[in-house]
Amino acid sequence: MTTEPAVPEALHAWAVYLRASEEARRRGDRRTGTDHILLALFEDPSVEAVLGVSLQQAREALESLDREALGALGLGSGADAPPLPMRAVPKKPTIRVVVEKNRPRLTPAAKKVLQDAVKPNRRKTQVTAQQVLAQILTLQPPDPAAVLLGALGVNTSDALHELASALAQPDQTRGRR
Amino acid sequence: MNVEDVASAIASNDPSVGLRASLALHRLAERVEADHVASARAKGWSWQQIGDALGVTRQSVHTKYNKES
Repeated sequence: MTTEPAVPEALHAWAVYLRASEEARRRGDRRTGTDHILLALFEDPSVEAVLGVSLQQAREALESLDREALGALGLGSGADAPPLPMRAVPKKPTIRVVVEKNRPRLTPAAKKVLQDAVKPNRRKTQVTAQQVLAQILTLQPPDPAAVLLGALGVNTSDALHELASALAQPDQTRGRR
Repeated sequence: MNVEDVASAIASNDPSVGLRASLALHRLAERVEADHVASARAKGWSWQQIGDALGVTRQSVHTKYNKES
């Protein structure tokens, strides 16, 4: 057999990075971190089901973590500005878009998450949201994604467990869309 | 750790909060800059003037913000 194993909806690893980098741009971040990769995974509807939170809730949790942190410096709620606009992510990522000069680079931890996620795949450019999510769920605070999951009240071991059973029977747990 | 725990950690000078605060400050600076570049453009400032105010070349402000206007 030369076909890939029946994994749900493979994404291009670059597309995950591109979406994550736009989440970073929206936040005003210089680097694309694990937290941004987590936000990018919400493209796949099954991620919301596994974590029990929405993209909107995750973004708001990041904002509220920022307000808390700025509050620690004595900066009140007056120190606030709207998020930056995101740019469109092309369906088929090209190298030119990926290496674009103003695009926030990956943090070392974010790079490792993507590399470890594609490791079992024969084609290293293809990855599923579940594979990336499984890597993110193993992270520990103070990693930004782990802090975000903590703030959202996500139990990472429960989510990993659910992810494993979802991978075993992809058709039963995945919403059709 | 949930958001309430973060609030209580602040009093104890927790480096995880302090380090996150430094990133939050950078985000805030980026957002303030973007906000005011947009309002400067709306008030008719040239890219040259905005670049001068920010201490960068007009080309770099233009490439960073032009697509969004």
